[in-house]
Amino acid sequence: MSVIECKDLTKSYLRKKVLNQISFTIEENKITGVIGRNGVGKTTLLKIMAGFIRETSGEIKVLAQRPFNNLYTSVNTIFVDDQMSFPPALQLQELLEAAQTFYPNWDMEFAQRLFKYFNFDPKHYHNTLSKGRTSTFNAIVGIASRCPITIFDEPTTGMDEAVRKDFYRALLKDYIAHPRTILISSHHLEEMEDLLEDVLLLKNGEVHLHIPISDLKEWAIGLQGPASVVLPWTEGKEVVYQNQIGLDTTYVVIKNDLSEAELAQISLNGVKVIPVRASELCVYLTNETKGGIDDVFINR
Amino acid sequence: MSLSTANLKETVKKQYFFKLKANIDAISSLIGIQLIAVLFSLGGIGGSLSSSEGLRIDINYYSADVVLVFTMIWALVTAITITTKPYRNHDFTFVTNRLSSSLSNILFLLTGSLLGAVTANLSRYLLQVIGYFVFDQQVYAGPFDFPIFILGIIMSALYIFCISSIGYLIGALVQVNKLFAILVPVLIIGSIFLDASIQKELSLMQVFQFYVMESNFVFFLIKILVTTALVFLASINILNRMEVRR
Repeated sequence: MSVIECKDLTKSYLRKKVLNQISFTIEENKITGVIGRNGVGKTTLLKIMAGFIRETSGEIKVLAQRPFNNLYTSVNTIFVDDQMSFPPALQLQELLEAAQTFYPNWDMEFAQRLFKYFNFDPKHYHNTLSKGRTSTFNAIVGIASRCPITIFDEPTTGMDEAVRKDFYRALLKDYIAHPRTILISSHHLEEMEDLLEDVLLLKNGEVHLHIPISDLKEWAIGLQGPASVVLPWTEGKEVVYQNQIGLDTTYVVIKNDLSEAELAQISLNGVKVIPVRASELCVYLTNETKGGIDDVFINR
Repeated sequence: MSLSTANLKETVKKQYFFKLKANIDAISSLIGIQLIAVLFSLGGIGGSLSSSEGLRIDINYYSADVVLVFTMIWALVTAITITTKPYRNHDFTFVTNRLSSSLSNILFLLTGSLLGAVTANLSRYLLQVIGYFVFDQQVYAGPFDFPIFILGIIMSALYIFCISSIGYLIGALVQVNKLFAILVPVLIIGSIFLDASIQKELSLMQVFQFYVMESNFVFFLIKILVTTALVFLASINILNRMEVRR
């Protein structure tokens, strides 16, 4: 069953199109990573799903209903980011209690255990927390609410590495015990690789790729060797990234549609065949130019 | 994960109790502002002094009118405040839609108006007590009539609530476009200057008289309730189209 369906979804701010006619569906109980560069429309997309902002045109259905201003969507989704706003008059403990009254699936015992593990003081106030602590508290609310659709927008902002790892692990464990649809946008794809099932890659306000992470890991292949040997192999192939290393060595990333025999042949020619990590590939795919930042410095 | 259904009534109820706790600062500022008003009222709103043949009579009038006016200002400001971004965002952290958010806000303002009306009406007796004990004055007050006292509370609550509805509308307009923050005061002050310059009775005064000078309680009730309802309805409609957390 698909829980989120987008068809030709467009959102524009003052004539600038942030999302441009995107279409995709997200299946129930999948963890999807929403990946893309800064300003590509990840947050906008997630906020439309949560019903915070309105689509300009096109259609979006969350749980078969239009999310904007919809109570049914609101009770079944939670949107977590570092801008989550809580009344300054309430203590952290009271905020958890408030969340309990609103979210029907809320697990208070679980929330308390996380709260204790991360050393929060029940008598503290949300607006006095540091950036990383704010993100951690918001993440606790996000996980413990057990909403059928849980949306994390950059949930790890400011968290240190240990807390980030704890967060991913807590999320995965609770997901296994209580499966739900989870969307996470983050810049730390390499940390989330084991967590995600699908990847939704946005580029220029459009869906560039929407494939399982296992496919993404094998989607491309890197060839490294003398330019004269490497370049003929890339002809007619989809070149994702190309860079000059040293005087005569070229590193090219191409879409991996080579056969076993071809790969063997390439290796025999003295070209190093290197697997491309998913996070690396996402950076290459979303680059505007083939050479990355190095293009700025050449041919001046 | 099982899906949950939400109904409007339950959500508004939850939000209302949440707001009573979350906006506790607004309630404490109400008490603070009323105490200041009591302090201002201690001087009396007027007095007369007459003396003849060695006899001197000093009369001071005490009234809780200032407290009521201050409470109305509080209602106006609070209503504007709860339409601002942070307050609306608090709702959207949890379960809400724009209608339930407005309805719970209105219930909160109604609660504040009732509370403010009760304390404002009681402050009259506080003033008399202070006059008697602190200033050592002989107090002459009309007899305490319970029905009148209750009627006074209801009427002041309705005034305060009506003012808060206007505040809520101003707040909603400002949320649509910040220009209204300038436009609304300009319109009000402008109308005063315009009326004064053509030596006409102030139109603001006429509006005021339309509500205050009504001696028939039922007509008063209809006038003020219909006005309040219409103004709130307009605000709900405006806020219903707003995007949050952009």
